[in-house]
Amino acid sequence: MPETMDLSLTVNSRERALRIEARETLGDVLRDRLGLTGTKISCDAQVCGACTVLVDDLAVSACTFLAADAESRSVRTVEGLAPNGVLSPVQQAFIDHAGFQCGFCTPGMLMATTALLEENPAPSRDEVIHALEGNLCRCTGYAQIIDAVLAAARGAISPDAVPDAVPDAGLDTAPTAEATR
Amino acid sequence: MIPRFSLLRPRSLDEGFAAFVAAAGEGAWIAGGTELLQVMKMGLAQFATLIDVKAIPELHGIAIDDEGGLVIGAGTTHRLVERSAIVRAALPGLATLAARIANVRVRNTGTLGGNLAFAEPHSDPATFLLACGAAVRLVGPGGARDLPIGDFVLGPLFTAREADELLVSVRIPAAGPAVGRAYAKLAFFERPAASVAVRLAIRDGHVAEATVVAGSLSEVPTVVEEAGRALDGSEATGAGLTSRLGAAAEAFGALDVVPDLNGSADYKRHLAGVLLHRAAQQALVEAHARA
Repeated sequence: MPETMDLSLTVNSRERALRIEARETLGDVLRDRLGLTGTKISCDAQVCGACTVLVDDLAVSACTFLAADAESRSVRTVEGLAPNGVLSPVQQAFIDHAGFQCGFCTPGMLMATTALLEENPAPSRDEVIHALEGNLCRCTGYAQIIDAVLAAARGAISPDAVPDAVPDAGLDTAPTAEATR
Repeated sequence: MIPRFSLLRPRSLDEGFAAFVAAAGEGAWIAGGTELLQVMKMGLAQFATLIDVKAIPELHGIAIDDEGGLVIGAGTTHRLVERSAIVRAALPGLATLAARIANVRVRNTGTLGGNLAFAEPHSDPATFLLACGAAVRLVGPGGARDLPIGDFVLGPLFTAREADELLVSVRIPAAGPAVGRAYAKLAFFERPAASVAVRLAIRDGHVAEATVVAGSLSEVPTVVEEAGRALDGSEATGAGLTSRLGAAAEAFGALDVVPDLNGSADYKRHLAGVLLHRAAQQALVEAHARA
């Protein structure tokens, strides 16, 4: 087999077909060929979690996952979380609870959280910490991130428990108690 | 970027061995890639051909064999080990261990066989499976052979596997009644700073057949025979047990411990002593439950 190959996959519900080199990672393909730069490559060693994307609903490190292994599979990235401009409950919860500071780790945090809540809609605080312990935030905003994940989970159980997601979540959004802490 | 390579995807062992021959000494097996792609990125290894083993059926599946042994395909991801009802029933400590390897992304892609074949000195599964008396099955063009973990892992990143052999499965023998097998670790990074595995039995209220394995301390997971002897015959509870555990932990003093980013040799020995208590207590709980 040559060093290049055809790749067909679904990215954020859209069919994609392209010719790649066997050595290309999913991160290379998403960022450099498809222009989906929301997925961040940081440590490039499966430690930091900034490149977390979902492949058939499982969180993987795009930096160390061969694009060839995404053949015929469904890939989700941060760009797919708000398909019509409406933030997902997880994204909204991160805003409501100040779940990010500089924002660089956020795409990975959002994808890791999305995978967690799809699998376990009502995690305990310890389960959230366990699921996210491989996602590093160099601003060290962990407490707010965990609060955001738990809030999103409550929303997943009872949509009335948190404010409705709004397309234009601007500065006039009332901060929550956690956010002003 | 990773240096260029060709990717082959055999669908059977025979196709795989043919691919390895065709690669003419420039080939390497790849499964989850969690270790191999890292070393290739760092320029520590380069292969013209990667042979993806994930589609080979013999590397998949979890089952109990005719003698009650737990057999796990080498291509099983840590996540599938964690979730397996068979593993949870037969060897719950392995499911718990798998749930705590590195991080969720590594667990979703990394495989049990890949972890063992890479032979990182801080491997969680190698440490626990050594205490459990497990063996790996290697299959090559010439046939199959089974090796106990202790004869398979020979040094840091070095195993008894020949280049053209494939690690196909791992077998953990059935535990008799009143046997407990447990693993305890402390990790600051992706891999443990120190870990201890204990296998023991309870006979007439006393510890018997104790095996203690220290992981992440030395160049390979190591059976600490003196620690096992110190536990044998101990009362299974109370001050008598505490005293014997203290004596068993003293045995780590004689180990050739490698200091690393986690700390000095003495610090790692201290951690192992604490972890020995935890692993032994957990093994005793399991042994009581299986009595």
